[in-house]
Amino acid sequence: MNELYPDIDRWVIPGAAMAATLAGVRPSGRRGNESGAFWLGSRTAVSRVTAVVLPQGVGIEETPGQWRVASEVFGAISRWAKPRGLTLLGIAHTHVHGVPPRLSWADRHRSVRVPGILAVVIGRGGEDANHHDWGWYVFEKDDYRELAPSDLDRRIEIAADDALDVWGADSERVWELRTGMTATS
Amino acid sequence: MTADEKATVIEEGQAARGPHEDAHVTVDYLPATKPFGRAYPVTTMVETVRTDAMAFFGVRDRQERDTYRYFLEFSGSRLTNTQETLEQLLGPHRRGAHFNLVEQITPGMIGR
Repeated sequence: MNELYPDIDRWVIPGAAMAATLAGVRPSGRRGNESGAFWLGSRTAVSRVTAVVLPQGVGIEETPGQWRVASEVFGAISRWAKPRGLTLLGIAHTHVHGVPPRLSWADRHRSVRVPGILAVVIGRGGEDANHHDWGWYVFEKDDYRELAPSDLDRRIEIAADDALDVWGADSERVWELRTGMTATS
Repeated sequence: MTADEKATVIEEGQAARGPHEDAHVTVDYLPATKPFGRAYPVTTMVETVRTDAMAFFGVRDRQERDTYRYFLEFSGSRLTNTQETLEQLLGPHRRGAHFNLVEQITPGMIGR
Protein backbone atom coordinates (compact mmCIF):
# COMPACT_ATOMS: atom_id res chain seq x y z
CA MET A 1 0.00 0.00 0.00
CA ASN A 2 1.19 3.50 -0.80
CA GLU A 3 1.23 5.46 2.46
CA LEU A 4 0.84 8.80 0.74
CA TYR A 5 -1.88 7.69 -1.64
CA PRO A 6 -3.60 4.64 -0.15
CA ASP A 7 -5.26 2.41 -2.69
CA ILE A 8 -8.94 3.17 -3.14
CA ASP A 9 -11.31 0.35 -3.92
CA ARG A 10 -14.53 2.35 -3.71
CA TRP A 11 -15.64 5.94 -3.37
CA VAL A 12 -18.76 6.78 -1.38
CA ILE A 13 -20.22 10.01 -2.70
CA PRO A 14 -23.26 11.48 -0.97
CA GLY A 15 -26.11 12.42 -3.24
CA ALA A 16 -25.76 15.80 -1.59
CA ALA A 17 -22.25 16.11 -3.04
CA MET A 18 -23.63 15.56 -6.51
CA ALA A 19 -26.44 18.03 -5.86
CA ALA A 20 -24.09 20.64 -4.41
CA THR A 21 -21.71 20.23 -7.33
CA LEU A 22 -24.47 20.62 -9.89
CA ALA A 23 -25.92 23.62 -8.08
CA GLY A 24 -22.46 25.17 -7.98
CA VAL A 25 -21.53 24.71 -11.61
CA ARG A 26 -24.85 25.36 -13.34
CA PRO A 27 -24.85 29.18 -13.13
CA SER A 28 -21.56 29.25 -15.04
CA GLY A 29 -22.79 26.58 -17.41
CA ARG A 30 -25.84 28.65 -18.24
CA ARG A 31 -23.52 31.52 -19.13
CA GLY A 32 -21.68 29.13 -21.44
CA ASN A 33 -18.63 28.71 -19.21
CA GLU A 34 -16.86 25.79 -17.61
CA SER A 35 -16.77 25.45 -13.84
CA GLY A 36 -16.03 22.81 -11.24
CA ALA A 37 -15.74 21.57 -7.69
CA PHE A 38 -13.21 19.91 -5.40
CA TRP A 39 -14.33 16.79 -3.58
CA LEU A 40 -12.59 16.13 -0.28
CA GLY A 41 -12.81 13.52 2.42
CA SER A 42 -10.91 10.74 4.07
CA ARG A 43 -8.69 8.67 1.84
CA THR A 44 -8.87 4.99 2.72
CA ALA A 45 -9.78 1.80 0.86
CA VAL A 46 -13.35 3.03 0.96
CA SER A 47 -13.04 6.78 0.57
CA ARG A 48 -15.94 8.97 1.50
CA VAL A 49 -16.53 12.47 0.19
CA THR A 50 -17.47 14.64 3.16
CA ALA A 51 -16.91 18.14 1.83
CA VAL A 52 -17.49 19.87 -1.48
CA VAL A 53 -15.54 23.04 -2.18
CA LEU A 54 -16.79 25.36 -4.89
CA PRO A 55 -13.98 27.71 -5.97
CA GLN A 56 -15.38 31.13 -6.84
CA GLY A 57 -14.29 34.74 -7.03
CA VAL A 58 -10.69 35.90 -6.92
CA GLY A 59 -8.33 33.33 -8.39
CA ILE A 60 -10.96 31.57 -10.47
CA GLU A 61 -11.45 31.98 -14.20
CA GLU A 62 -14.44 30.45 -15.94
CA THR A 63 -14.56 30.65 -19.71
CA PRO A 64 -16.18 28.55 -22.45
CA GLY A 65 -12.92 26.66 -22.97
CA GLN A 66 -11.29 26.60 -19.58
CA TRP A 67 -11.78 26.49 -15.83
CA ARG A 68 -8.73 27.91 -14.08
CA VAL A 69 -8.13 27.56 -10.36
CA ALA A 70 -5.06 29.55 -9.37
CA SER A 71 -2.42 27.98 -7.17
CA GLU A 72 -3.35 30.52 -4.48
CA VAL A 73 -6.83 28.99 -4.34
CA PHE A 74 -5.30 25.52 -4.18
CA GLY A 75 -3.24 26.85 -1.28
CA ALA A 76 -6.22 28.33 0.54
CA ILE A 77 -8.04 25.02 0.27
CA SER A 78 -4.93 23.18 1.49
CA ARG A 79 -4.56 25.45 4.53
CA TRP A 80 -8.19 24.90 5.39
CA ALA A 81 -8.42 21.18 4.64
CA LYS A 82 -5.32 19.69 6.17
CA PRO A 83 -6.01 20.68 9.79
CA ARG A 84 -9.42 19.04 9.33
CA GLY A 85 -7.90 15.81 8.12
CA LEU A 86 -9.37 16.26 4.66
CA THR A 87 -7.67 15.00 1.53
CA LEU A 88 -8.45 15.88 -2.05
CA LEU A 89 -10.23 12.86 -3.52
CA GLY A 90 -11.38 14.24 -6.84
CA ILE A 91 -12.06 17.21 -9.03
CA ALA A 92 -15.28 17.52 -10.98
CA HIS A 93 -15.63 20.05 -13.77
CA THR A 94 -18.02 20.79 -16.55
CA HIS A 95 -17.85 20.85 -20.30
CA VAL A 96 -20.18 23.23 -22.04
CA HIS A 97 -23.06 22.24 -24.29
CA GLY A 98 -21.92 20.40 -27.37
CA VAL A 99 -18.65 19.15 -25.85
CA PRO A 100 -18.69 15.52 -24.76
CA PRO A 101 -17.97 14.78 -21.10
CA ARG A 102 -14.64 13.21 -21.83
CA LEU A 103 -11.23 14.28 -20.59
CA SER A 104 -9.41 16.62 -22.94
CA TRP A 105 -5.64 16.85 -23.17
CA ALA A 106 -5.71 19.79 -20.78
CA ASP A 107 -7.97 17.92 -18.39
CA ARG A 108 -5.43 15.12 -18.27
CA HIS A 109 -2.28 17.22 -18.06
CA ARG A 110 -3.15 20.50 -16.35
CA SER A 111 -4.60 19.01 -13.22
CA VAL A 112 -3.64 16.86 -10.27
CA ARG A 113 -1.82 13.72 -11.32
CA VAL A 114 -1.41 11.37 -8.38
CA PRO A 115 -2.56 7.77 -7.94
CA GLY A 116 -6.23 7.29 -7.27
CA ILE A 117 -7.39 10.85 -7.80
CA LEU A 118 -10.77 11.11 -9.51
CA ALA A 119 -11.45 13.37 -12.47
CA VAL A 120 -15.13 13.74 -13.21
CA VAL A 121 -16.49 15.53 -16.27
CA ILE A 122 -20.09 16.73 -16.24
CA GLY A 123 -21.65 17.48 -19.59
CA ARG A 124 -23.89 20.28 -20.83
CA GLY A 125 -22.61 22.82 -18.34
CA GLY A 126 -23.90 20.80 -15.42
CA GLU A 127 -27.34 20.10 -16.84
CA ASP A 128 -26.59 16.36 -17.06
CA ALA A 129 -27.94 15.28 -13.69
CA ASN A 130 -27.47 11.54 -14.17
CA HIS A 131 -23.99 10.62 -13.03
CA HIS A 132 -23.99 7.67 -15.41
CA ASP A 133 -23.80 10.25 -18.20
CA TRP A 134 -20.71 11.87 -16.72
CA GLY A 135 -17.14 10.94 -17.55
CA TRP A 136 -15.45 9.18 -14.62
CA TYR A 137 -11.68 8.78 -14.63
CA VAL A 138 -9.11 7.66 -12.08
CA PHE A 139 -5.40 8.38 -12.30
CA GLU A 140 -3.38 5.17 -12.48
CA LYS A 141 0.34 4.85 -13.15
CA ASP A 142 0.93 7.68 -15.58
CA ASP A 143 -2.45 8.72 -16.92
CA TYR A 144 -6.15 8.92 -16.27
CA ARG A 145 -8.14 5.80 -17.06
CA GLU A 146 -11.86 5.92 -17.70
CA LEU A 147 -14.02 3.82 -15.44
CA ALA A 148 -16.04 1.38 -17.49
CA PRO A 149 -19.76 1.22 -16.69
CA SER A 150 -19.25 -1.98 -14.70
CA ASP A 151 -16.41 -0.35 -12.74
CA LEU A 152 -18.53 2.72 -12.17
CA ASP A 153 -21.32 0.73 -10.59
CA ARG A 154 -18.93 -1.33 -8.50
CA ARG A 155 -16.56 1.42 -7.37
CA ILE A 156 -18.78 4.49 -7.08
CA GLU A 157 -21.48 4.33 -4.44
CA ILE A 158 -23.95 7.16 -4.31
CA ALA A 159 -25.07 7.47 -0.70
CA ALA A 160 -28.48 9.04 -0.96
CA ASP A 161 -28.92 9.96 2.69
CA ASP A 162 -25.43 11.05 3.72
CA ALA A 163 -25.08 14.69 4.67
CA LEU A 164 -22.08 16.85 3.88
CA ASP A 165 -20.79 20.39 4.13
CA VAL A 166 -20.41 22.75 1.20
CA TRP A 167 -17.77 25.45 1.11
CA GLY A 168 -16.68 28.29 -1.11
CA ALA A 169 -13.02 29.11 -1.74
CA ASP A 170 -11.02 31.89 -3.35
CA SER A 171 -7.38 32.90 -3.29
CA GLU A 172 -7.60 34.09 0.30
CA ARG A 173 -9.92 31.81 2.22
CA VAL A 174 -12.50 29.08 2.47
CA TRP A 175 -15.94 29.86 3.80
CA GLU A 176 -19.03 27.91 4.70
CA LEU A 177 -21.86 27.84 2.19
CA ARG A 178 -24.04 25.09 3.66
CA THR A 179 -23.65 22.59 6.48
CA GLY A 180 -25.38 19.28 6.81
CA MET A 181 -26.70 19.36 3.27
CA THR A 182 -28.57 16.29 2.13
CA ALA A 183 -29.58 15.29 -1.36
CA THR A 184 -33.08 16.55 -0.77
CA SER A 185 -32.39 19.62 1.36
CA MET B 1 -3.78 33.84 10.67
CA THR B 2 -7.04 32.17 11.58
CA ALA B 3 -7.44 29.37 14.05
CA ASP B 4 -8.26 27.09 11.17
CA GLU B 5 -4.92 27.50 9.53
CA LYS B 6 -2.00 25.40 10.56
CA ALA B 7 0.61 27.58 12.15
CA THR B 8 3.42 28.30 9.77
CA VAL B 9 5.75 29.20 12.60
CA ILE B 10 6.81 25.93 14.13
CA GLU B 11 8.73 27.40 17.00
CA GLU B 12 10.11 30.77 17.83
CA GLY B 13 12.95 31.38 20.23
CA GLN B 14 14.28 34.54 21.73
CA ALA B 15 17.83 34.08 20.52
CA ALA B 16 18.92 34.29 16.93
CA ARG B 17 19.79 30.99 15.31
CA GLY B 18 23.37 30.11 14.46
CA PRO B 19 24.41 29.67 10.84
CA HIS B 20 24.74 25.89 11.09
CA GLU B 21 21.51 25.18 12.89
CA ASP B 22 18.68 23.33 11.25
CA ALA B 23 15.20 24.50 10.45
CA HIS B 24 12.52 21.86 10.66
CA VAL B 25 10.35 22.02 7.58
CA THR B 26 7.03 20.32 6.89
CA VAL B 27 5.13 20.40 3.61
CA ASP B 28 1.53 19.36 3.01
CA TYR B 29 0.07 18.43 -0.38
CA LEU B 30 -3.70 18.44 -0.64
CA PRO B 31 -4.13 15.03 -2.36
CA ALA B 32 -1.66 13.24 -0.06
CA THR B 33 -2.48 11.74 3.32
CA LYS B 34 0.84 12.51 4.98
CA PRO B 35 3.13 15.54 5.07
CA PHE B 36 6.75 15.74 4.06
CA GLY B 37 9.10 16.63 6.90
CA ARG B 38 12.83 17.18 7.12
CA ALA B 39 15.38 19.28 8.97
CA TYR B 40 17.50 21.51 6.75
CA PRO B 41 20.47 23.75 7.44
CA VAL B 42 19.19 27.30 7.42
CA THR B 43 21.42 28.05 4.45
CA THR B 44 19.34 25.66 2.30
CA MET B 45 17.61 27.27 -0.66
CA VAL B 46 13.83 27.11 -0.88
CA GLU B 47 14.26 25.41 -4.25
CA THR B 48 15.84 22.42 -2.50
CA VAL B 49 12.81 22.07 -0.25
CA ARG B 50 10.49 22.39 -3.25
CA THR B 51 12.41 19.74 -5.19
CA ASP B 52 12.57 17.34 -2.23
CA ALA B 53 8.88 17.80 -1.49
CA MET B 54 7.91 17.14 -5.10
CA ALA B 55 10.01 13.96 -5.09
CA PHE B 56 8.39 12.87 -1.82
CA PHE B 57 4.90 13.41 -3.21
CA GLY B 58 5.75 11.77 -6.52
CA VAL B 59 5.11 14.79 -8.70
CA ARG B 60 7.36 16.84 -10.95
CA ASP B 61 7.28 19.96 -13.04
CA ARG B 62 6.17 19.11 -16.54
CA GLN B 63 7.19 20.65 -19.83
CA GLU B 64 4.74 19.41 -22.39
CA ARG B 65 2.77 21.82 -24.54
CA ASP B 66 3.45 24.34 -21.81
CA THR B 67 5.11 24.42 -18.43
CA TYR B 68 3.25 23.03 -15.46
CA ARG B 69 4.94 23.93 -12.19
CA TYR B 70 4.47 23.21 -8.55
CA PHE B 71 5.05 25.95 -5.99
CA LEU B 72 5.61 26.20 -2.30
CA GLU B 73 3.20 28.37 -0.41
CA PHE B 74 4.18 29.93 2.88
CA SER B 75 1.92 32.03 5.11
CA GLY B 76 -0.58 32.36 2.31
CA SER B 77 1.90 33.53 -0.31
CA ARG B 78 3.26 31.60 -3.25
CA LEU B 79 7.05 31.60 -3.14
CA THR B 80 8.51 32.77 -6.42
CA ASN B 81 12.08 33.42 -5.31
CA THR B 82 13.19 29.86 -4.72
CA GLN B 83 16.83 30.88 -4.59
CA GLU B 84 16.17 32.49 -1.24
CA THR B 85 17.53 30.56 1.75
CA LEU B 86 15.37 29.34 4.59
CA GLU B 87 17.08 31.83 6.88
CA GLN B 88 16.29 34.70 4.54
CA LEU B 89 12.70 33.53 4.30
CA LEU B 90 12.12 32.78 7.94
CA GLY B 91 14.22 35.41 9.63
CA PRO B 92 16.70 34.84 12.42
CA HIS B 93 14.35 33.50 15.07
CA ARG B 94 12.07 30.95 13.50
CA ARG B 95 13.18 27.36 13.96
CA GLY B 96 10.88 25.84 11.43
CA ALA B 97 8.14 26.41 8.95
CA HIS B 98 5.15 24.80 7.37
CA PHE B 99 4.61 24.97 3.63
CA ASN B 100 1.96 23.75 1.22
CA LEU B 101 2.85 22.36 -2.17
CA VAL B 102 0.41 23.92 -4.63
CA GLU B 103 -0.38 23.88 -8.32
CA GLN B 104 -2.67 25.69 -10.72
CA ILE B 105 -5.56 23.61 -12.03
CA THR B 106 -6.49 24.45 -15.60
CA PRO B 107 -8.72 21.83 -17.14
CA GLY B 108 -10.66 22.75 -20.22
CA MET B 109 -11.11 22.33 -23.88
CA ILE B 110 -8.44 24.89 -24.78
CA GLY B 111 -5.56 22.92 -26.20
CA ARG B 112 -7.65 19.79 -26.42
